[in-house]
Amino acid sequence: MTLLEFTRGPALEASLIILVAGVIWRLVGLLLLPYKRDHSEPRGNRTALGGALQTILRRFWPYRAFQNRVLFSHVMGYAFHIGLAIVVFGYRPHILFIRDLTGISWPGLPYWVVYLAGAVTLAALVALLIRRLSHGVLRLLSTPDDYLSWLVTILPVITGFMAVQHLGARYETLLAVHLLSVELLLIWLPFGKLMHTFTFLFSRGFTGARAAHKGAKT
Amino acid sequence: MSQSSAAHDTRPHRPDLGEARYDKQGELSDAERVDRAVSNFVKDIGAVTATHLDACIHCGQCAEACHFYRETGDPKYTPVHKLAPFRRAYQREMSPFGFIRRWLGLTHKVTVDELQRWQELLYDSCTVCGRCTMVCPMGIDIAGLVSQARHGMFKAGLVPAELHEVAEKAEREGSPLGANPEVFEDRIEWLADDYEVAIPLDKESADVLVTVSSIEIMKYPRSIADMARILNHMGVDWTFRTDGYEATNFGLLSGNTDWQADMSGKIIEAAKSVGAHTVVLPECGHAYTALRWMGANSYGAELPFKVRHISEYLADGVRQGSLKLKSMDRSVTFHDPCQVSRRGGATAEPRVVLDALGVELREMDETGDLNWCCGGGGGVVTISRADAIRHKVFRIKQRQVEDTGAEAFVTSCSNCRMTFDDDTEHFNWGRKVESLVELVADHLEA
Amino acid sequence: MAGPSTLGDFLLQRGISRRGFMKFCTAMASAMAMPPSFARDMAANLETAKRQSVIWLSFQECTGCTESLTRSHSPTLESLIFDFISLDYHHTLQAASGHAAEKAREEAMERAGEGGYLVVVDGSIPTGAGGAYSTIAGMTNLQMLAETLENAAAVVSVGTCAAFGGIPYADPNPTDARSVESLMANGHVPSKPLINVSGCPPVPVVISGTFAHYLTFGQIPELDHYNRPKAFFGDTIHDRCYRRPFYDQGKMAKSFDDEGARKGWCLYEVGCKGPTTYNACATAKWNNGTSFPIESGHGCLGCSEPNFWDAGSFYKPLSAGMWGEAEGLAAAAAVGVAAGAGAAWGHRRRHAQAQEESQS
Repeated sequence: MTLLEFTRGPALEASLIILVAGVIWRLVGLLLLPYKRDHSEPRGNRTALGGALQTILRRFWPYRAFQNRVLFSHVMGYAFHIGLAIVVFGYRPHILFIRDLTGISWPGLPYWVVYLAGAVTLAALVALLIRRLSHGVLRLLSTPDDYLSWLVTILPVITGFMAVQHLGARYETLLAVHLLSVELLLIWLPFGKLMHTFTFLFSRGFTGARAAHKGAKT
Repeated sequence: MSQSSAAHDTRPHRPDLGEARYDKQGELSDAERVDRAVSNFVKDIGAVTATHLDACIHCGQCAEACHFYRETGDPKYTPVHKLAPFRRAYQREMSPFGFIRRWLGLTHKVTVDELQRWQELLYDSCTVCGRCTMVCPMGIDIAGLVSQARHGMFKAGLVPAELHEVAEKAEREGSPLGANPEVFEDRIEWLADDYEVAIPLDKESADVLVTVSSIEIMKYPRSIADMARILNHMGVDWTFRTDGYEATNFGLLSGNTDWQADMSGKIIEAAKSVGAHTVVLPECGHAYTALRWMGANSYGAELPFKVRHISEYLADGVRQGSLKLKSMDRSVTFHDPCQVSRRGGATAEPRVVLDALGVELREMDETGDLNWCCGGGGGVVTISRADAIRHKVFRIKQRQVEDTGAEAFVTSCSNCRMTFDDDTEHFNWGRKVESLVELVADHLEA
Repeated sequence: MAGPSTLGDFLLQRGISRRGFMKFCTAMASAMAMPPSFARDMAANLETAKRQSVIWLSFQECTGCTESLTRSHSPTLESLIFDFISLDYHHTLQAASGHAAEKAREEAMERAGEGGYLVVVDGSIPTGAGGAYSTIAGMTNLQMLAETLENAAAVVSVGTCAAFGGIPYADPNPTDARSVESLMANGHVPSKPLINVSGCPPVPVVISGTFAHYLTFGQIPELDHYNRPKAFFGDTIHDRCYRRPFYDQGKMAKSFDDEGARKGWCLYEVGCKGPTTYNACATAKWNNGTSFPIESGHGCLGCSEPNFWDAGSFYKPLSAGMWGEAEGLAAAAAVGVAAGAGAAWGHRRRHAQAQEESQS
């Protein structure tokens, strides 16, 4: 079996299985823990679900009161999240991969848009790493997970570029390395902070539900 | 000190600050302290807490929202960093992959040294104001988690001495400041006399049970008389009760859930005795959190009465027409008590009252639900070791108030009031914070 | 087979002018990506080249490789070279049959002596059932290959079957077919200098060009990691494809008769394996430069690559996975639920314990 066959076949299957099992395990392991009943009288008749959705949506952008201090972090974060989304979901070969997995597909974006998005993604990720390494608060908070998660996120972008540009090795090798880097990301996702992909819904949601109960700002 | 590779650096950011500053209670061994802390951390970890502890992505934005970080620039005050031992206990004991972490030695058990160092982060430098909760992109209720973490700290005997002292006094005597029922009764008699206002005490039954803060009893007694005057003006059938008058809850502030339940319990039982349909809380912040939002849960069932902050009650009076006010011709800026507005949901109500007073309201730049904290809540004002940073934090409010150019600076919490008075004196500011209740009492229509 | 002893004489006999010969050498040099000056060297060498004895062994094959090579619409110099070599044994092209054919082979081997003849193999070699799946004159292919390679100078595996196992090698490989190279690697046949000329079939000029190089220089040309001549297998179809601009713009045909297909857009989406296939089809093309699969509207099958038959459907795009079925993922989900619930159950007990402890 060549490396490419391995990464397109057993490695992909194994990493998807680990991803699915791990994500569900972690979510179920959290959400099946005990819930405390709230006997306090609610303010008004806002529903818990409504409050949850409000906070889920509202926290996508900081409140004005905080903006001048957190915008860099937010904007850079979006730059790479959106850039990555454009690359992952807008590049036709990727869409065909997803179609193979799920049956769903959609039109791709022009390649120059994808390449530009990829470049922006790389720049933003590097900027954020520099910030994490130099800012007092981030240095205090950061753990190996933060750096590993950064690495497994940037590697697919770098190796994708290299594959498309035939940079450094034969195409099949570059393609295999690119697939391996994606598989690494899939495998790591359930175990580190990348899990925020899913937990943000519940973390924001619970706070929103409680705020709605109190009639407070979500 | 051994470091875990899985949790973040737990050393104080500024090693030059020297030894950890902490107080101890009890004669427990280090191992016992750790076990109790961890056991009580675990006790608090249900689905919501676990999800929140799990969700942090180390973005550092919470630091930008916290007045302690902002005015000192010291990363150790980063809100989520205050939770490090709590978070690690979660990861090791209650997280979905916890057993893998234990198996592979990835997450070490919390150490007594960490708990001791974290005392000042969890108590001295957190007012549980909740701004961090509002900025967090993951919506983590960091402030709420700090409150929970204090439970473990209390059981481990690691509470700041002064805070522990007043809490213990409150549990034993009924008041953190020595205003026990006899003292309270005395005060009420004196107030009724001195201010010439009828103050019902220990009625057998009443529609409304009113409570006070010991800070008012000892430092701002006029507020109590004024509250009485206003309620009488509104024609309310109300009473104080010597078996349930203290609205402050140092069980909540120090982290002792049993004491918290005891303290709420007194009010609840007194209210049930008199058959009140409403309990009014005085100008106090955390009293609102303790009874309005946590009281029923401490009690274990729905409360058979409504709970209202005095500013809410007055707003209701304005809306219903039972509170008639004269115009007050001054410009005012209002400081929202964090527990009433942001954490409590009663942000609009003081403004309804101010509107009825006809003042020119000049809002501070960050106000209402996203206001800056006075810096003294959450028990911080009782901790003298925290004075230095508390004074620093006051600079924010000072700038805010001055920028409005308002003549009057008003609030509706006696703890904020006491904190501001202390800071004002420290800085020789020359301005004085006023009480909403007192202003209302001064402007009652005849 | 007696006759002109050098290629120069041979061509003279056939009426090829010197000019024509030089043109051929120039074209050949260019096709092998050599500088123009090599044409003169090549001409000099070829002119004096002795007729090379070639033994062509056909094993588990479809004869497509021979067909490809001999397909010519007009006599070409490549085919003349093919005529020039002393093709002492070839099932399809030889006149002899039966024992006479085998005798011809043995005699040629003896006459050429050690290191004197070139072996060409097409078709894979079955090794299952003791090699019984393919036998010639009572000899298994394996035996014949081992015997013939003994004194060979070099071996050329023509076609993907000989080079990599090809179609018989595809899952489940019922005859346990092997490539020449793998048999040399595990010692079943003598190890000799090897050139793989893969393709199913290989492009005609690729075969003849490889022979021409060997005849000219007496040496194996520069080979890639799969032992294929870099001159012909150095680039992917994708990198030389005339439809590449459409790939770069993201314009792909979605089916074989849609608007994109009719406009000649890239065939990635309908399964073209061009990006991972190394061959000369996109430049040399087929049928004397008439066309190649992509130009005719069908994606490249990747036929010059090992395992092309098992490398995922010809019609699934390259980025589609070759992974298993949904059952695996469903099982993963079930494991996740079970493990998560187990963890939660264990932690709920811890939680309850902690609550009890604090009560006491």
